[in-house]
Amino acid sequence: MKDTTYDGPILEIDKLSISFFTRLREIPAVMDFSASIMPGEALGIVGESGCGKSTVALGVMQDLGVNGRIVGGSIKFKGQDLNTMTTEELRDIRGSQIAMIYQEPMASLNPAMRIGKQLMEVPMIHEGVSEKEAYERALEVVTDVKLPDPKRMLNSFPHQLSGGQQQRIVIAMALMSKPSLLILDEPTTALDVTVEAAVVELVKDLGKKYGTSMLFISHNLGLVLETCDRICVMYSGEAVERGSIEDVFDEMQHPYTQALFRSIPLPGADKNARPLVAIPGNFPLPHERPQGCNFGPRCDYFEDGLCNEAKPIPMYPVTGNERHETRCLKFQEIDWNAPIDVGPQTEKPEPGRVVLKMDNLKKYYEVAASALFGGGNKKVVKANETLSFEAREAETLAIVGESGCGKSTFAKVLMGLETATDGQILLDNQNIEGTPIEARDTKTVSDVQMVFQNPFDTLNPSMTVGRQIIRALEIFKIGKTDEDRRQRMLELLDLVKLPRAFADRMPRQLSGGQKQRVGIARAFAGDARIVVADEPVSALDVSVQAAVTDLLMEIQREQKTTLLFISHDLSIVRYLSDRVMVMYLGHVVELGTTEQVFAPPYHPYTEALLSAVPIADTSVKKKHIVLDGDIPSAMNPPSGCPFQTRCRWKDKAGKEKCETEVPPVRVLAEGHQVKCHLPDAELANMEPVIEIPATAAE
Amino acid sequence: MEELTWTGSMGAILVPLITLTAAVFLTGVVVQLVMGAFAPEVKLQSNPDGTLQGRGGLLGRLENYTGWLFMLLVALIVAFIVIAWFMPYGDAGILGEVSKRFLPTWIALIITFVLSITFKRRLGLYGKLFDSTIGMIGFGLVMFWVFTSIFVGLFDMIGTHDPLQQISGLKNKTPGVVVPEGQDEGFFPHYLLGGDNLARDIFTRMVHGSVIVMVIAPLATIFAFMVGITLGLPAGYYGGRLDTVLSFLANLILAFPVILLFYLLVTPEIVATGLPNFLAAFLFVFPLVFFGVLINSRYKNQAGKNGLLLALVLAPLAVLYFSTISDAGSPLYIWPEALDLFDIPGGILVVFVSVVFVNSPTVFRIVRGLALDIKTRDYVAAAQTRGEGPWYIMLWEILPNARGPLIVDFCLRIGYTTILLGTLGFFGLGLPPESPDWGSTINEGRKLLLIFAHPALPPAIALLSLVLGLNLLADGLREESLKD
Repeated sequence: MKDTTYDGPILEIDKLSISFFTRLREIPAVMDFSASIMPGEALGIVGESGCGKSTVALGVMQDLGVNGRIVGGSIKFKGQDLNTMTTEELRDIRGSQIAMIYQEPMASLNPAMRIGKQLMEVPMIHEGVSEKEAYERALEVVTDVKLPDPKRMLNSFPHQLSGGQQQRIVIAMALMSKPSLLILDEPTTALDVTVEAAVVELVKDLGKKYGTSMLFISHNLGLVLETCDRICVMYSGEAVERGSIEDVFDEMQHPYTQALFRSIPLPGADKNARPLVAIPGNFPLPHERPQGCNFGPRCDYFEDGLCNEAKPIPMYPVTGNERHETRCLKFQEIDWNAPIDVGPQTEKPEPGRVVLKMDNLKKYYEVAASALFGGGNKKVVKANETLSFEAREAETLAIVGESGCGKSTFAKVLMGLETATDGQILLDNQNIEGTPIEARDTKTVSDVQMVFQNPFDTLNPSMTVGRQIIRALEIFKIGKTDEDRRQRMLELLDLVKLPRAFADRMPRQLSGGQKQRVGIARAFAGDARIVVADEPVSALDVSVQAAVTDLLMEIQREQKTTLLFISHDLSIVRYLSDRVMVMYLGHVVELGTTEQVFAPPYHPYTEALLSAVPIADTSVKKKHIVLDGDIPSAMNPPSGCPFQTRCRWKDKAGKEKCETEVPPVRVLAEGHQVKCHLPDAELANMEPVIEIPATAAE
Repeated sequence: MEELTWTGSMGAILVPLITLTAAVFLTGVVVQLVMGAFAPEVKLQSNPDGTLQGRGGLLGRLENYTGWLFMLLVALIVAFIVIAWFMPYGDAGILGEVSKRFLPTWIALIITFVLSITFKRRLGLYGKLFDSTIGMIGFGLVMFWVFTSIFVGLFDMIGTHDPLQQISGLKNKTPGVVVPEGQDEGFFPHYLLGGDNLARDIFTRMVHGSVIVMVIAPLATIFAFMVGITLGLPAGYYGGRLDTVLSFLANLILAFPVILLFYLLVTPEIVATGLPNFLAAFLFVFPLVFFGVLINSRYKNQAGKNGLLLALVLAPLAVLYFSTISDAGSPLYIWPEALDLFDIPGGILVVFVSVVFVNSPTVFRIVRGLALDIKTRDYVAAAQTRGEGPWYIMLWEILPNARGPLIVDFCLRIGYTTILLGTLGFFGLGLPPESPDWGSTINEGRKLLLIFAHPALPPAIALLSLVLGLNLLADGLREESLKD
């Protein structure tokens, strides 16, 4: 079955076009896409959502659903055209020679079957091996993906594993039949950063060990830099630039690639001195693509008459680089090394008086051990443990942490959706920790507002945008008449830079970024003074992220708002926050100004977090720290220091101490505090995780 | 006057044609099925110009032919219906004459479809319905009976005789029978679908029956939804003990045998205690509560507007409510006679109460499940963080977003209610014995079914087509609301 003599490219896609057919029209999803993957090579496809990168992967698998058709071009796998194969032949190849890993690990595993059974199925079906041999191989692969206690793993059901472990099992399953090509469609998006770093490392190692070629699909440039040899940037159904990682990252030859890099917060970007440059305009809908160059209307180098001429633009090879091509008519004229046009620089606003003060805030939940019969043993979940900090007017305080660290609970207590167990929250020196939201007066409620994470969920789908903002105005008792409120609503739309015509639109007619703007407008309806932004941009595309982040910063400067920015993305935190608070399992492990937190000495967890965040810059050197295992459950936290189970410094601080005592809060410098047992000498010896070369940091 | 034949003069040509086409079509389908089992699979490949490659060979051609045959069959049947409109009386046969009697309904249907299909892109979910064949068929069947009941109920158009008029000599006569001279002057010379065992016109009774069904079934379903929504939302939103208690009660009602419940409700002893009236008073108050809370939660902050709207909506509803529950004979005789707009016959009230009573627990469970799901959305959290009251969140944030499944269930439930009404009529519960509603007429016809099948069949077919239409409509709506 396996063709061992073949030594050409593993996958060769030539001028592939894929369309989806709906009732109304044909929607071209991918046009004129070519790529080839050599044995052992990893190709990364990056692009924003809707650019067709997943469609390419599905096209390779020949799994386009009822509406999808390949309308042109060929896909050759080891020299055989996949388009002309019968279902039978395809079934032989899928899973044995081409394997695919999807975004949601839980959705790729059969919840009713033991892990071992699912893994053993692969070689038993494809190669007809005996059950015993299949078991041996499953055991070997599970050991390879570095799961603890492989035998127990094989005997468990998917729901008994954590997200990171599930994804490892999915990877193991893909590797069971030693495929020649592995397709990974955003394999780590659903995972936490530290877990993501470990999974990425694993994929890289396994690729080397098994010699598998990889097609890696991601929206994260940093991740592609870390995993791939070659990269293909897609925009609106077309590949706009492809080449080796170094060529594309350092000598980009397409305006879209350049714009993409300028819109992500690389180290060195600063919200006041060098703000991010968002790509103007919106991503075109598939049936409303412009004539000529798809990126034309949003491009800085657009030339009328050339770029919008109605003829297809081919890929031009870039001279001097090997296999580096760009789909730009003007790439030879553009001065790619021209300095970035620095946007309007702004003064950093001085933080004012203290608006919000948390003092030893605690929030415990009681969970009945058995849900069926009340009573019995009750377990206490400590969601927030002795949280203390201050937030000043016009200041951005970032709260960093992974899932389960207690940041959402903290937001709930602050908003009044839950009441605190102990400690106090002072808003303008008034205690609000025990007042649920129904008991708060309108002023307090409108002062503390929230921007939510998921743009697709933040607006009520069956109410117009204007209506939703007006409702917020009504409830905050702003404006005397309906006319007043309508006027104010239009001003709010101006504030978030949306056209006034959007007032009568339904949320489904808006893009993700636009919805998020409406969410921001709604939060500021009552002139909020404290805004809790819960990962407001993490679900948006990079180019939109920049625009929304800058909008938040601008409103903050004008209104002197205190922004509590909850995020797990340290790049964006470094870019926009004044102070950073790192949380782990309900504890504040480190708190300080941005400079203090991002430079040594670190708390060991901060160090790992910093190292885990992929950075899309080839010149940045990063220390590699991979944490073992997963985040412990808040139901059953480790004894002593919450981080001790994954800490690599434990030996140096005295193991016993870490395992038994919760570390005290230590003040390292003015305003910089750390919760760690490490002796001062060790802390002082810590090396920086990220080294930014002098040129990039200027 | 002669007796009418089934198909009249058209039948001589059209009936053999239809039979032949149908026979060939069915053979073709069978052959196609058999061949399909051995045919090679089709690879979805497109031509260079983007069109799909068709399946070639004998099987491909056969597929095309059967498709055309089916179209021909439909065209022939439509021709049968349409040609009848232009034939003089007596030539078109029974089926032709029936088609002619339904002419106002046909015209209304054609106008509805032409308008809807022309503007379907601007009509939201309703417009999308016209993209699905199943949905269109369902909608057509339902609207057929809706229009029929409107023309019968408001304009007395389609029926040929009086539904209660008995003409001697026509007892149990077969379809197409001639009405004797002098008995029914200048009115209509035939009993189109024959006479029943009391010598009444079956066709007229069937179309009059549609009015009763069309009034009671949707109304009762709306009431059931009001009750289910008003209780289901808080159960799902608050959860906890309230949910446990309400769900337990719902299960209790669902577990109780429905027919026994109906019998209990109409037993004279029970009626004497006033139980149906108290139940009615309880169930009919829910629309008032629903609309009151709906408006109040929305306009709470604008006192003037709130009061005005509440008064405008609640005052007429209250008058209707008290007119409904207050009755001279009932224990709840509390409303002044001058303000009592109408009296509802005790039988219909019982039917109404029982239908609402058994339907609302199911609606309750659907709404509760939807509320449980939707309350985890961010927009609900956003509403909470700006200090909205729970009822605003339930009625304005959660309910509108649960509308898809609720509309589908509404259609299905009208169907169930129609059958339930039929069942009630069949058992002789509630409605008066001379009522022409479909359940009662089926029951009447059942008694002599072995000798005369024709009195029971028309109402049974009518009931079947309406419920089928509602189910297809619900299917179409569900399918279309999931798309895009």
